[in-house]
Amino acid sequence: MPRDLTPSTIENTFVLKALTERTRLDSRSFNQLRDLDISFSSTDYGVVDVKLGRTRVIARISAEITQPYADRPYDGLFIISTEISPMAAPTFEAGRKSEDELVISRIIEKSIRRSGALDTEALCIISGEKCWAIRADVHFLDHDGGLMDAACIAVSAGLLHFRRPDITIVGVGSRREVILHPITERVPVPLAVLHVPICVTFSFFDVRKASAAIAGLPGKDNMKEADDDDVEEENDSSTTVLVDATLQEELLRHGYMSVTANTNREICQIQKGGDMPVEVGKLLSCAEAAIMVAEKVTKLINKRLKEDEARRNVGNLLVEARAENDR
Amino acid sequence: MASRIEIYSPEGLRIDGRRWNEVRHFRCAINTHPVSSDGSSVIEQGNTKVICNVIGPAEPTLRSRVISDRVSISVKLVVAPFSMIERRKRPQNDSRIQEMCSSIQHMFEDAVIAHLFPRSQIDVNLYIVAQDGGVLQACINATTLALIDAGVPMYDYVCACTAGMLDREVLLDLNRIEESAMPFLTMATIGGTRKVSLLQLEMTVQFDRLEPMMAAAMSGCHHIRDLMDSEVRKHGKSRLERGSF
Repeated sequence: MPRDLTPSTIENTFVLKALTERTRLDSRSFNQLRDLDISFSSTDYGVVDVKLGRTRVIARISAEITQPYADRPYDGLFIISTEISPMAAPTFEAGRKSEDELVISRIIEKSIRRSGALDTEALCIISGEKCWAIRADVHFLDHDGGLMDAACIAVSAGLLHFRRPDITIVGVGSRREVILHPITERVPVPLAVLHVPICVTFSFFDVRKASAAIAGLPGKDNMKEADDDDVEEENDSSTTVLVDATLQEELLRHGYMSVTANTNREICQIQKGGDMPVEVGKLLSCAEAAIMVAEKVTKLINKRLKEDEARRNVGNLLVEARAENDR
Repeated sequence: MASRIEIYSPEGLRIDGRRWNEVRHFRCAINTHPVSSDGSSVIEQGNTKVICNVIGPAEPTLRSRVISDRVSISVKLVVAPFSMIERRKRPQNDSRIQEMCSSIQHMFEDAVIAHLFPRSQIDVNLYIVAQDGGVLQACINATTLALIDAGVPMYDYVCACTAGMLDREVLLDLNRIEESAMPFLTMATIGGTRKVSLLQLEMTVQFDRLEPMMAAAMSGCHHIRDLMDSEVRKHGKSRLERGSF
C-alpha cells in the first residue's frame, strides 16, 4: 500500500523558516496564484485542460438523453465524477477512496452542483420522460497541490465551453418524439450556466509552531506556551495565510480553508475542516480575497473562451447559422 | 414544503416560538454510560439527540494506528434508522457521514493535548438518535463532553452552533425545517475565544451577509460553552459530594 508522502525534517524547517521570513520557495507573494493556463480542445466542445503551476487537470463534459428522476420530473441530471487515479500522485490508490479524495469530491460537488451553477431545469426536454444528463468527468493528471481549485476551474470552464446538440420535439400528447440534430447539421446549443463558481484554497501556518520546529524543539513545548498566552494576544500575526499552496506547502500546513466564490460577490461554499483554529476576522478577509481571485480567474476563462470561439468561428458561420437569439 | 410555512413571522417569532438569537432547548448529561465506555455524554438540542461514547486513551488495536508522537483519534458515526420521519437505513459509507467523521476527527486531534498520549488511541462513537437540524453541531458538542468525562486533557471546550440567513434576518441554531429553507453555516470555536476551528457553509450566500451570520454563530457557540461548562461543574460537584470517582 502506498504511503502518504511525509516531508523530511530538513525540508520542513526550510519551508517554515522561509515563511517566517515572508518568502515562499517559488518566490510568489503570499496571496498570489500560480500561473494559470486554460486551454480548450480544438475539436471537441467541453474538453478543458487546466494547468495551475505544475498541477494539471482535464475535465470533459458530455451529454446524453435519459429519463429524469420520478420525484423531479422537470429537472435534468448533472453528475460530476472526480476519481483520482494513481496517475496524479502515487499516494492515491485506484478504486479506493482516500480521505483527501472524499474531501475534494465533496467540495467540488458543493461548489458547482449544489450552488446551482448549472440550471438543471433547462435540461428538461419532455417532463417526466426525457431530459439531458450532463456529465463532468474530471481527470487529475499531475498533483502539485490545489487539486480542488484546478478541478473547479476546469469544470466551470468546461460547462461554459460545452455545446449540446440541438433538438426539436415533434408531435403532440403521448406521441411526442424528440429529433436530435447532430453537431454537423445544426449549430449546437450552450448550457444555461447561471454563475461561474471558483474555488480558492487558503493554507494556514501557525508561526509559533513553525518557529518551534525551526528551533528544533518538539512542537508541544511551544503549544503549551501559546496556550498560556492571553487570548487577545494571539492575534493575526501568529497565523500566516497562503493562497494556492503547492504540494509541499500542503503537506506542511497546519490548517486550510477552501472558499468558493463567484463574480456576483457570492460565497457558494466554505469548508474549513476542523484543523488549526483561526481568528474570525482572518477567515472573513480570506473570503473577501476569494472573491477577488474569482474575478480574476473568471476574466481569464472568458478571455480564453472568446479566443476559442474566434478560432472556431471561421467566416462568421457559427453566428449566421445559430437558431437562438443573443441574450 | 418549507415555502408554505412562515419561517419567521413579522413579529419576530420563528416556527417554534423562538426569537432570532435564541438557541433551542439545550439539555446535556455526562457519564451516562459509565460501564460501556470511559467517557460518555448525551446531548439534546431541541429535537436533535446525540449519544457519544469515548473509549480510550488505550493501546491501539491495530499497529497501523500507532502514531509515535501523539494520540490517534478515530470517529465513528451511526445514524439510527429511526432518527427521521421516514425510516431509512443509511449506508455507513455515505460521503456526507464520512466527511462529518473526518471533520470531527481533525478538530479533536487539534483540541486534545495529543502529545501526552503517544502510541495510544481514542475511539469516539457517535449515535444520532434523532435528527432535527444541526446534527454536526450536536455531534461536536457531544464529543467535547464525552472527552471531558473520559478525562482526556483538552486545551478548551470545542463548541459548535449553526446560524442561517433568511433574506436579511440572521437566525441562530436552526431546526430541520429552517435548515431546508435558507443558507446556513456551522461554526465551531475553541472555548470562549474568537478562534474558529470548523466552518462549513453549503449554500450560496452574499458576501456581505456572511459577517452577521458568523457573529451570530459565534455568540451561539459561546453561549453553548457556558451551558456545557455549568453541566460539567454540576456533575463534578455531585461526584465530589458522593465521594465516588
